[in-house]
Amino acid sequence: MKSFLLAALALSLFACQSKEEILHEQYVIEGRIQYENNCANCHQSNGQGLRNLYPAISKSTLSAPELARLIKQGRKSATGYMPANPKLQAIDIAEIITFMRHEWGKNEQTFSFDSTRIVLKGIN
Amino acid sequence: MPHKLIYLVSFALLVFSCTQDKKLPYLGKHETRVVDGKTDTVYHQIPPFKFLNQDSVWVSEKDMAGKIYIADFFFTSCPTICPKMKTQLVRLYERYADNDQIRILSHTIDPAFDRPYVLKKYANRLQVQAPRWNMVTGDKQAIYTLGEKSYMVTAQEDKNEVGGFVHSGAFILVDKQRHIRGIYDGTKEDEVNHLIEDLEILLKTN
Ligand code: HEC
Repeated sequence: MKSFLLAALALSLFACQSKEEILHEQYVIEGRIQYENNCANCHQSNGQGLRNLYPAISKSTLSAPELARLIKQGRKSATGYMPANPKLQAIDIAEIITFMRHEWGKNEQTFSFDSTRIVLKGIN
Repeated sequence: MPHKLIYLVSFALLVFSCTQDKKLPYLGKHETRVVDGKTDTVYHQIPPFKFLNQDSVWVSEKDMAGKIYIADFFFTSCPTICPKMKTQLVRLYERYADNDQIRILSHTIDPAFDRPYVLKKYANRLQVQAPRWNMVTGDKQAIYTLGEKSYMVTAQEDKNEVGGFVHSGAFILVDKQRHIRGIYDGTKEDEVNHLIEDLEILLKTN
């Protein structure tokens, strides 16, 4: 009886969310983990960076495709060096970008796996 | 009323034992020497050294005389643990901004790349300055030997490792006589909180 109630409750909860919303939530959750593992050591968990060594990214104006390429390829410039992330796959990067939008962009749009794959085509 | 007295005494003892200072250990090999029939313990001590800092100024053990310092090993292009260590060191640097008894001494393990001008750029971006935070470079073997033999941390070149080097993320707490009093994981905030607790003890007793 108890487990039946629980199942019904879970079902009703799920029913309130569309498929897209569930997918978006998964992207955000996974993206947060990926961000913690691959980015937070420099840019910090709150995206504020570390003084002038690692820039704050919470207010970055890069577009999603630019961001995807930056994450994959890194960047070396006169102002700093961000290493490439050859090990991150399109799905990981899609999740990171979706997480960053959610966390700092007030933007709840999923940046999809397919968009990321297209942007990263030809880049290894 | 003798039992009241006993209560009082034991209470006093209790209070006393609770407030007694925690003592920090001396890490590393101890030697005992007999001088004039008295045994003396000689603690492990950081030997003299001489390196160039971010301002191309020589830094030696003489600059650390009378200072408590935190030593670490890093390299400026390190993508993995150094950013975490530097985040924590910046926290220490800020916390002790007004305390002239405390220094930070960061040794590069990639001296071929990390010339003084590279360290200077790095320090400028972190907005930190010598002498409170010296970032030093010099003879590679001298740095590695000092790291492994004296500070008791790992520092090695390793082509298989991201960035090309393996090193521990340790912070080494060194007292005013250059004895090691604690080693902490500099990549973890709560470990660095322990370092701060121990540093406060040292400030009172050293
Ligand atoms: C080793 C440290 C380091 C890591 C790890 C790192 N970055 Fe960076 N990042 C930098 C540096 C340094 C810059 C500045 C590069 C420059 O000045 O050209 C930068 C720049 C950026 C920018 C550009 C800001 C702007 O508006 O131009 C974004 C966005 C960014 N990083 C996101 C990320 C993401 C997402 C990750 C994780 C996948 C990540 N970074 C991992 C060091 C790092």
